[in-house]
Amino acid sequence: MRELFRYHPRIGHTFIPGLRARVEHEAGGYLVAVNGQGFRCGHEFRTAKPSGGFRVILCGDSFTAGDGVSNQRRYGDLLEQRLPGLELFNLGLPGTGTDQHLLAFEEVTRTMEYDLVVVAVQVENIRRVNSRYRETRNMDGETVVRAKPYFIRDGAGELTLCHVPVPRLPLDPAELDDATLEQVDRGGSFATLRGVVNRLGGPVKELAQRLSRYQPVPGYDQADHPHWLLLRDILTRLIRASQAPVVLFPIPLYQYVEGSSSSRACQARFAELHRPPGVTVVDPLPHLLTFPPATRRAFRFPQDVHPTPLYHRVLADCLEPALRARMGLPAAAGGSGP
Amino acid sequence: MSGYILGISAYYHDSSAALVRDGEVIAAAQEERFTRVKHDPRFPRNAINYCLEAAFIEAEDLRAVVFYDDTLLTLDRVLKTTLATAPRGRDNWRKAARSLLGIKVHAARRIRDYLQVPVPVLFTRHHDAHMASAFYPSPFDEAAILTLDGVGEWATTNLGHGVDGAIRILEQIDFPHSLGLLYSAFTVFCGFKVNSGEYKLMGLAPYGTPRYADLIRRELIDIREDGSFRLNMRHFGYLDTLCMTGDAFEKLFGGPALPPDGRITRREMDLAASIQQVTEEVVLACAKHLRRLTGSRNLVMAGGVALNCVANGRLLRSGLFENLWIQPAAGDAGGALGAALLAAHRHFGLPRAPRPSGQSDRQRASLLGPSFSEAEIHAFLDINQLPFTHLPDPGQRAALIADHLAAGKVVGFFNGPMEFGPRALGGRSILGDPRNPETQTVMNLKIKQRESFRPFAPAVLESACGTWFELDRASPYMLLVADVRAERRLPITKTSADTDDLLEVVRQPRSDIPAVTHMDYSARVQTVNPADNPEFHRVISAFEARTGVGVVVNTSFNVRGEPIVCSPKDAYRCFMRTDMDLLVMGSYVLCKKGQPERQAERARQERFAPD
Repeated sequence: MRELFRYHPRIGHTFIPGLRARVEHEAGGYLVAVNGQGFRCGHEFRTAKPSGGFRVILCGDSFTAGDGVSNQRRYGDLLEQRLPGLELFNLGLPGTGTDQHLLAFEEVTRTMEYDLVVVAVQVENIRRVNSRYRETRNMDGETVVRAKPYFIRDGAGELTLCHVPVPRLPLDPAELDDATLEQVDRGGSFATLRGVVNRLGGPVKELAQRLSRYQPVPGYDQADHPHWLLLRDILTRLIRASQAPVVLFPIPLYQYVEGSSSSRACQARFAELHRPPGVTVVDPLPHLLTFPPATRRAFRFPQDVHPTPLYHRVLADCLEPALRARMGLPAAAGGSGP
Repeated sequence: MSGYILGISAYYHDSSAALVRDGEVIAAAQEERFTRVKHDPRFPRNAINYCLEAAFIEAEDLRAVVFYDDTLLTLDRVLKTTLATAPRGRDNWRKAARSLLGIKVHAARRIRDYLQVPVPVLFTRHHDAHMASAFYPSPFDEAAILTLDGVGEWATTNLGHGVDGAIRILEQIDFPHSLGLLYSAFTVFCGFKVNSGEYKLMGLAPYGTPRYADLIRRELIDIREDGSFRLNMRHFGYLDTLCMTGDAFEKLFGGPALPPDGRITRREMDLAASIQQVTEEVVLACAKHLRRLTGSRNLVMAGGVALNCVANGRLLRSGLFENLWIQPAAGDAGGALGAALLAAHRHFGLPRAPRPSGQSDRQRASLLGPSFSEAEIHAFLDINQLPFTHLPDPGQRAALIADHLAAGKVVGFFNGPMEFGPRALGGRSILGDPRNPETQTVMNLKIKQRESFRPFAPAVLESACGTWFELDRASPYMLLVADVRAERRLPITKTSADTDDLLEVVRQPRSDIPAVTHMDYSARVQTVNPADNPEFHRVISAFEARTGVGVVVNTSFNVRGEPIVCSPKDAYRCFMRTDMDLLVMGSYVLCKKGQPERQAERARQERFAPD
């Protein structure tokens, strides 16, 4: 019933400030509480840090914003509940890529004090940063195409920001030329085939992916793949802009978690960015793979691919040691192991 | 133990959900407002979602969900009726069985599946819920209770007594003897739809003379001294067919029913006047008997018949009871609220919540539906690039609206929470100038796109009510009809007896506020005070400051067949579909001139089946 998002001239969109909504969902529905700045965050963005507190800025997409679960069940909020003194600012925005996370980070943290930045890169974001439009639905539920901000990278690795201010009105997909359609993020390759397989349902989809050795994000395959280079340079710009250490937290595709697709190339790319102590990569996949297959399947909902409350708990487990170390807290007694 | 209780009304005429916390009303809404399907009877998933959203709770936080129906008892009635009329009642049985066995018996599972929690599901009887919806939100600690509607399980009429948290049924009239169904039979016969046309029939009544009233008393209904009544089923079809009336009924009233949307003739006007008179007699007789039974000075009412504000006004004027309170969502939608309150007090034994300070009752002005923040309204306007003026100062805003109204403009008014119940009370309203003799015609035909004869209601400053109407008390829910004061009336020169053209009759000025004065000088009054709805009160006050008239025309924000608007999008679409001049949503003001043509085109594409 409610619209959740507003137009933002630089980021593309944010949540509507101050929104309190309940979203219907296959798991029964979830509560969305948004702060006064338009982020699904339990705190208002204040400049000064409370004395003795430890501030974390958490960037990401719908996995981090918590589509499918109420605010307090998200991995960011769980960390805050577990770690005394932690003040976590969730900048997660559904339907966005790492390019928009960089812009949100720049927008929000300009005058803020913080101790650590966690960039949750849902690895599919590589596709989003390489697109200039995204498919979405308008107020009548029709599919439309909206422009998003994006970066282009020149030969020297310089990034130029485009589509800012972001064009406001949606485009009719039927009226777009082929070149523009190529630049629309429609959820990956073979959109039509995926649509058919998705309609056939879970088991068929899983079987199809297994048999076809489906690789949803080929941009990670080579270190010099232009898609990876763009994502890498966006992350590098964010790291440079940060006044505090950065943790990169690549959230794997469920195909990696459930073993229907190889994660090797993707993991290798993120490992290239590991430069402690300034930049740490916390790869949750090894921990996730210790869970039995049925549990791993329960990391996402039957239809919705977003993390279930269980997966949020496990993701929090994965990040917790890194945060404890940064905060100078002793290691936790135990986690949610397999 | 305290907690949240969710009430659900579904699979009747107007699905809804309501939420109470420790006996206090928190939220309530009709499903139609979200689905945009008038009187939507389906499972109210959107309304449930809204109720949980309003309290900002998880489904796990619900102590119980209460369904407003005892399906087995309804099945008992359907089975016995079918057997008694066999083999003629086959079609009725098929239809009822599909609903009862196909959907209703699975209600508990449907609720748990939707919420995805193993919440306890309770069931109440239809009229118990109506009685609860009448008594618990009322201002009274003790009251006589009267509920009248079509039918729920077996009951069609209940007389009861409420004291603190307890409700006791004193007498009951069972199916097929139903005042609600009698009125509905005439509704259909006069060309209107059951469950939505009753209000039109009531509005038509003052155009006619009750020349069939004796015939109705003689042939159709036997009204007894104690208010009980029996229908002569020979004339009705609903017992054993899918029709409300039959050949005998047609013979009685001189020919076949008027087809839907047929041209209304003198017969329909007189039938409307006649059944209205008889209905009022039955209501008065029931109330008189109830007064004797309970000795109470207070009467509360619910059930679809309680929406007959003309009968309510007559009841008030009769002086049988000193105080009268009617559930604003008196129809099936209100059953959700009653079911939740009944569970809170009867099942869980919670005491009644105190009346909120500054409020005249526990219904919270019936502004129990969704509201939209300034940020949400702005986001809607911004993303769609709709031209608007931002007027954050409430005084300036009220003055602007008043100026437009005084200049004869029609204003869409989208303000705060949406109303629960069929009447718009200044949350989702269309406003007009009551002084203008053309207002009624213009608003009916160009704005509401509905029948020209239908009257409009006045919203009057509570403090000025006595200046305009013969009403000595507040009427915040537009459920009382009172006469315009005698000194304000103008002689009516042309009646429906003189011409077949209702427009000619409608266009005559009948008082100095003609747009809200009906043919019999009556008006369906809504009083507005600053505590219940400060923004609306400011607008009427500003209009009074300009014109000396503390009254505006208040009609629901919709067109014919459309549910009242809920969201900014609904309001904008309705605004663009009609000849409204100005739309005010929160502190944002939109003029019709300058709105994008593509939006007007889009709005015109939306169609609603006429009701």
